[in-house]
Amino acid sequence: MLLNSKGLLRATIAAVTTAAIVVGSLPAAAESGDPIRKLTLISRAQAANPQQFQAAELIAQAWQQLGLDVEVQGMPRPQQSDAVWYNRDTWDLTMWQMAGRPERSDPDELIYNLFHSTTVESGYNFVGYVNPNYDDIAEKQRVTANRADRKVLIDQLQDIINEDQVYAFLVHPLQTFAFDKTVWDAGTTIEQPGLGIKNFWTFSNIEPLGAQKDMILNSSDELNAINPFYISGATDSWITELIWDRMMRIGPSGLAEPWAAETVTWAEDAKSVTITLRDGMMWHDGTPVTAEDVVFSFTAPVKFAPMYKPFVDGIANIEVVDASTIRFDLTTPNAAFETSTLAKLNLVPKHIWEPLLAALREGESAESVLEQSRIGSGPFKFNRWATQQEVVLDANATHWAAPKMERWILRIVLNVEATLGMLRSGELNFLSDYTGDPVLLIEASEADGDLTVVESVDIGFQYLAFNLRRPPFDDAAFRRALSAAINRELIRKAAYNGFAVTSNSVVSPALSFWHKAGIEAELDTGMDLAKSILADAGYVVVDGKLHYPTGKTEPFAN
Amino acid sequence: MAYFLRRFAHMLFVLWAVATILFFMFRLMPGTPLAAFIDNTTTAEQQAALIAQFGLDKPLGEQYWLFLTNLMQGDLGQSFFFKKPVVEVVMEVFPNSVILTLASLIIAYAFGIVAGAYLAWRRGSWVEGLGIPLVLTTRAAPEFWLGMVLLAFFSFHLGWFPSGGANSSGSDWSSDWQRVTSLDYLSHLFLPAITLAIYLQGLPLLLMRSNMLNVLQEEFITMARMKGLSTWTIVMRHAARNALLPVATAFALGIGGAVGGNVVVETVFSWPGIGRLLVNAVSASDYPLAQGAFLMITAVLVVMNFIADVTYHLLDPRVRIATR
Amino acid sequence: MRWLNTAAAIPRRDPFAFAGLLLYFVFVLIAIFADSLITHDPREILFDANYDLVRNLAPGGDHILGTTFSGRDIYSQLVMGTRGALIVGVTAAVCVVTIGTVLGLISGYFGGLTDTLLMRLADIALGVPFLPFVIVLAAFLNPSQWNVVIGIALLLWPQSARVIRAQVMSLRERAFIEAARVTGAGPWRILFVHIAPNVLSLSFLYASIAVGWAILTEASISFLGFGPSNSVTWGYMLQDAYASQALGRGQYYWFVPPGLCIIAVVVAGFLISRGYEEILFPKLKD
Repeated sequence: MLLNSKGLLRATIAAVTTAAIVVGSLPAAAESGDPIRKLTLISRAQAANPQQFQAAELIAQAWQQLGLDVEVQGMPRPQQSDAVWYNRDTWDLTMWQMAGRPERSDPDELIYNLFHSTTVESGYNFVGYVNPNYDDIAEKQRVTANRADRKVLIDQLQDIINEDQVYAFLVHPLQTFAFDKTVWDAGTTIEQPGLGIKNFWTFSNIEPLGAQKDMILNSSDELNAINPFYISGATDSWITELIWDRMMRIGPSGLAEPWAAETVTWAEDAKSVTITLRDGMMWHDGTPVTAEDVVFSFTAPVKFAPMYKPFVDGIANIEVVDASTIRFDLTTPNAAFETSTLAKLNLVPKHIWEPLLAALREGESAESVLEQSRIGSGPFKFNRWATQQEVVLDANATHWAAPKMERWILRIVLNVEATLGMLRSGELNFLSDYTGDPVLLIEASEADGDLTVVESVDIGFQYLAFNLRRPPFDDAAFRRALSAAINRELIRKAAYNGFAVTSNSVVSPALSFWHKAGIEAELDTGMDLAKSILADAGYVVVDGKLHYPTGKTEPFAN
Repeated sequence: MAYFLRRFAHMLFVLWAVATILFFMFRLMPGTPLAAFIDNTTTAEQQAALIAQFGLDKPLGEQYWLFLTNLMQGDLGQSFFFKKPVVEVVMEVFPNSVILTLASLIIAYAFGIVAGAYLAWRRGSWVEGLGIPLVLTTRAAPEFWLGMVLLAFFSFHLGWFPSGGANSSGSDWSSDWQRVTSLDYLSHLFLPAITLAIYLQGLPLLLMRSNMLNVLQEEFITMARMKGLSTWTIVMRHAARNALLPVATAFALGIGGAVGGNVVVETVFSWPGIGRLLVNAVSASDYPLAQGAFLMITAVLVVMNFIADVTYHLLDPRVRIATR
Repeated sequence: MRWLNTAAAIPRRDPFAFAGLLLYFVFVLIAIFADSLITHDPREILFDANYDLVRNLAPGGDHILGTTFSGRDIYSQLVMGTRGALIVGVTAAVCVVTIGTVLGLISGYFGGLTDTLLMRLADIALGVPFLPFVIVLAAFLNPSQWNVVIGIALLLWPQSARVIRAQVMSLRERAFIEAARVTGAGPWRILFVHIAPNVLSLSFLYASIAVGWAILTEASISFLGFGPSNSVTWGYMLQDAYASQALGRGQYYWFVPPGLCIIAVVVAGFLISRGYEEILFPKLKD
């Protein structure tokens, strides 16, 4: 080595070249961040919801190919709710579902509450999505009266969610119901989009063919309450719909129709609506339904019914014009008012509920009240509730839309094998809650010959939720990659046995007007695509494990 | 008499101890009871109000004292879900469990006693060689497994019995007594009772057999000297006095143990009993109800232990002779 | 080493007990060599060449016992379940026996206040209903097999403890114990060196019953939905079959084998304990 300039140059070049070779051959770990922690995917327990659990397992298995360590944890619904709802900072991934309810025939309830920033802390936006642009459009669609204009806005909202992959939507399940066609006239069942034949109109209209005039249906969940101010699950809402009337009801078309209201007239500025009450409505105890009862039903929830408060908050004032005319004044125009409020709130007798609510202690709400008599004005009267066994409702013959059946009897059957067995033996004649394998149900109906099976796409949907508060789920690219790795078609066939349609939106294809056509196809999936999205975003696989991009640390290392 | 009082005090002590363990177990377990109200859009203030309403914000010692004083007055608190007093909810379903337990035990013991005596009589024969393993098998099979198989065969396949519940849908009865003695109720009771009975008969059977063998050994030599007299009558008369005593004790203990253990059978057959209530309450984090159901089951267990002890003490010939 | 002789004498005297020991031996072998005996990964969801789920296959071909509703191999699950069953069973048995024996020894030998306290503790443990307690444990703690072990360890020791206590009480007045005392042996030495070996055969018997009890309880807890969802045990298999309507589909090859395996292991325990007929009914007062 000569210490002259040429030697120095040669030495420098050699040094730099050596350094370059050394640096270039360093393990890739120097180019990546921390390894991503082990992730837990929460799901309902297998026995309670086998489809959801199976989907979770398939997803976990797929993500392992990306270099992630994912464990599926099945737990009962209250524990899952506790983790996801009450401890919003602690979970990473969860399976979840939105149930199909008649009120959700208008997309407003879901498209607003699930993603608006005001519901992040303690409401339905438990994933923690904050997007001011989304908020603006969501608020705007609420006050847009013109349906075509409103649809444009709702399409935009669906696009934003798709772009950001806030949820990894999975499927809209195909609900399967069945009934004994020798007992019930199949022509008198009514199918409601997104709800199938299990709906208020069927119960109201269905005609018995023979001696059996009682409808015996089932629930696979234990029943916990029958209270017009409280919805604890899906099953009790079937019952409250029958015992208590509402101002309007979501009709078979999916649009709100007058029910207890004779006429519904909106003012020009869409900020007030005048309703005339139907004549001759009676409570089940024989007293007449009055305008005061109506006012009470819409004002009591403000203070006493947390579940219904959001839907009456927008009412500035209720004016009793005369004995059968009531005017509602709203604080702002609300295009969804008929669906979200007039078709949702139950009409309750003031003379029974006012003293009950007055007797409440500090902090208690109408949900704590046990009104034994369950007096409503609806087409069915409450007869009895044998705990853990059955609920019996009698037809209200004096109702203007009196049902054709004599009694509506709900049996609680926890064992899905027993449920199918009871349908086949005739102990049930209407299968209203089947959580089992639809293939077996169809085979049974073919073998027995006296069953009719009806399938319909649900308004509701099943999805996987990311917790946007916790890295790496705050990175939209990461979410897109993980979503791309999920094979929806496989989940549809394997977890749901083909009894589902793939989903990519909160708006189900069952709502043909509001659903954005083709949105499912707008989501590209594939394992290679997923890997390339990850690579482009800087995530690196080291020794089979996925790491953050360079410079990022794992804040929740375990 | 002194013995009776001592045992009674002892029973109260055990009840108190278990109630205390239960209280602390439920308070110190993880999981918010409010998770039950999840479909709400409840605010933080409403949550706080609910916590106050159920008295969950008081110090633990104060809650415990309230718990004990209420317990002694027969108040087990209010169910989160049903909004009714726990005692009411529990008493609605408790009779069903009692009936199921008694029915299955009666069948099990009636069969077990006769079969046990028979097996003892046929000692050393192929009947015993086959019988013993068979009996052990019935005691080794999971109850729900057996129940599902019986349900599938006798209900789904043959259609002889209903698939679940305690009464047919919508059936009306003039009184509870009418309801539980009706053919409808009995046909619903049959399969779950048989399932339990198959499991339970092993104990009285083996017990009876064992005692009979002891008796036979003693008597056999004397028998050899008595000619022309029916060995069967003499043995049976002797056995009735001695061999049945432990069996009677086991019966009382069996009631105590079975009420809590019925939960799997109640789930398979959708039988509306207290075991099922406990499982439902626990799953839904309705812990006043879970606590109440658990206490009820415990009370039955402890009381039956007490009755068994006292009965044995009163009837045991050795004890009776000693106190004369 | 008298207890060893007594223990070894059982198989020679009683063919049933011998059969029980043999069954245990076979299951232990299966558990040890499970990895080589299985044909597929028991937890893996399997697909065929068309990326279709390989579900509900009848026994035959690649799958000796067919496949489950989620596309898993039943035979492999059954074999691997042996491990889970024996781990839960043996752990529970060890816990119960250790606690029961030690407490029985102490209680029987020292008597007095210690005895009274321990027996009161036993009464409380006997006053807690077993399955409901394990249900509450399983619901509140994370679902895990150890809930069953904890429940058994806490609640099932009184039976063995009482019997061992009675035995110790009768042994403690014997001549050879008196001799040991006279030669200056301390109480603990006497207890564990001289007395304990004589009661170990009783401990062994309760252990064999406890194994069966633990496996049955684990199956019940899994069936009720409180079991862990990520480990393969026979109880898990039965729960899976039940939730997937195996009986309605006529999949007896799925529902029956795990039940039979449970029966086999539990019966084996009973048969072994029948070597001593008079100790089969621990609930009796003696």
